[in-house]
Amino acid sequence: MISLWTAIWIVPTLVCNRIQFDPDFPPEVPVSETKHLPGQTDRPSESAGAVRLTSLVKRFGDHVVVNDVSMDVAAGEVVAIIGPSGAGKSTLLRCINLLERPDSGIVDVAGIQFDAATPVSGKDLARLRRHVGMVFQSFNLFPHLTVLRNVALPQERVLGISRTEAEEKAIRLLDRVGLKDKAKQYPGRCSGGQQQRIAIARALALGPQIMLFDEPTSALDPELGLEVLAVMRELAAEGMTMAVVTHEMHFARDVSDHLVVMADGAILEEGDPDRIFTDPEQPRTRQFLRAVLDR
Amino acid sequence: MIGDWIPSLLGGLGVSLKLTALSLGLGLPLGLLLALGAASTRRGLRAVVIGLVELGRGTPALVMLQIVYFGLPAGGLTFSAFISAGISLALTTGAYTSEIIRGGLQAVPQGELEASSALGINHRDTLRFIVIPQGLRVALPALLGFSITIFQATSLVYSIAVPELLGKAYSIGSETFQYLSVLFLAGLMYAAITIPGSWLSGRVEHRLSRHV
Repeated sequence: MISLWTAIWIVPTLVCNRIQFDPDFPPEVPVSETKHLPGQTDRPSESAGAVRLTSLVKRFGDHVVVNDVSMDVAAGEVVAIIGPSGAGKSTLLRCINLLERPDSGIVDVAGIQFDAATPVSGKDLARLRRHVGMVFQSFNLFPHLTVLRNVALPQERVLGISRTEAEEKAIRLLDRVGLKDKAKQYPGRCSGGQQQRIAIARALALGPQIMLFDEPTSALDPELGLEVLAVMRELAAEGMTMAVVTHEMHFARDVSDHLVVMADGAILEEGDPDRIFTDPEQPRTRQFLRAVLDR
Repeated sequence: MIGDWIPSLLGGLGVSLKLTALSLGLGLPLGLLLALGAASTRRGLRAVVIGLVELGRGTPALVMLQIVYFGLPAGGLTFSAFISAGISLALTTGAYTSEIIRGGLQAVPQGELEASSALGINHRDTLRFIVIPQGLRVALPALLGFSITIFQATSLVYSIAVPELLGKAYSIGSETFQYLSVLFLAGLMYAAITIPGSWLSGRVEHRLSRHV
């Protein structure tokens, strides 16, 4: 059995190093010549760590999911994005690291600018992904790898560091999210809250300047959500730039510096979280907040 | 009498097993390559690969054998009977297992591919470290099942005079005219491999279902 496994493993591993395959991947940005377009917008890029979205439009077929949205996240700022389901919050977030390719508009992240009209080179995309960490609702850990390998492997492949170095760093990060003792376990043996904290450690291990959170607690029961939120609060307190799509209104109000309320693909209103929670300008915002807060 | 047959039949069984190993050793990597091609986003490549796979699956193993052994020498390629048998069974293995493996690769959740992409892991590394290990694990029980089938299919190569188990049994039968006994004995020997093989593949399936 071992030799069979070796036989079916070794050859493809060797071949894989030589041949470029595309599996059915999430839609990727086509690779072509780089074009940096500094100065294309009249608004200059801010300090590293900032996100600036300008007139972003994203359609799925005929359905306009994000409709001409402009949004800034300053370095060190925590922006919470709230709003009813189908408002386009997640899609907007996924445009920041180009998991979704916007149909028009400009994404400016950590000083790298991407225009929807211009193809993005693989190199630029890799640079963008290194600057931006992402945490998903469904954790998306790799179930065939131990917790330690989940956090170490991306460092080895993306940063090109040694296994020893990567695993040492992984242990430090797992310790930081309180899960050092789970290092040798498989993700399937961890609770949802633990898996999400591992996913956060995995993203942080690459040293991102910006962290995106796509409903990180929505798949968790409330108690387990709290341990994830605690890690996120800590991260915010340390000055990490964060964009968080969430239904956790307490988190949005207490932790975020800036609140964005979305509905129907557009920003309804944005500003100081306390101000919006106590005195929303838009009737639609008021209606939404009443619905979520009164339960 | 039967005792005299045993060494010869065991020799034939050895040849059958070697042939199975050769077919799988060449055929499974081929199956993986074809599976990756068939799952490619490049439309041209995908169409060609799927066409080849369908052709390979549509061609009976015996016909494939005859093509390689009798057909290829016409094109200047001559192999020994054993090598021809190995090549033809490997081609059949590749065509069939590529579909099994493709199913396994596609069972890897989309979310993991997104996470890998968001982490900045490139396509090749995603395939190598995320998709292929998990996909093969999913495919492994079915691949073991197919390995048993290909072991049985090695009996076809007696038609090109490879001295494997059925060939040996047949020649004993033609000398002694005790076809029933000797073929029954050969059948038992096949079963002595395939029954534990099936049991093993069931065990592997059970074990693997624990993790992923």
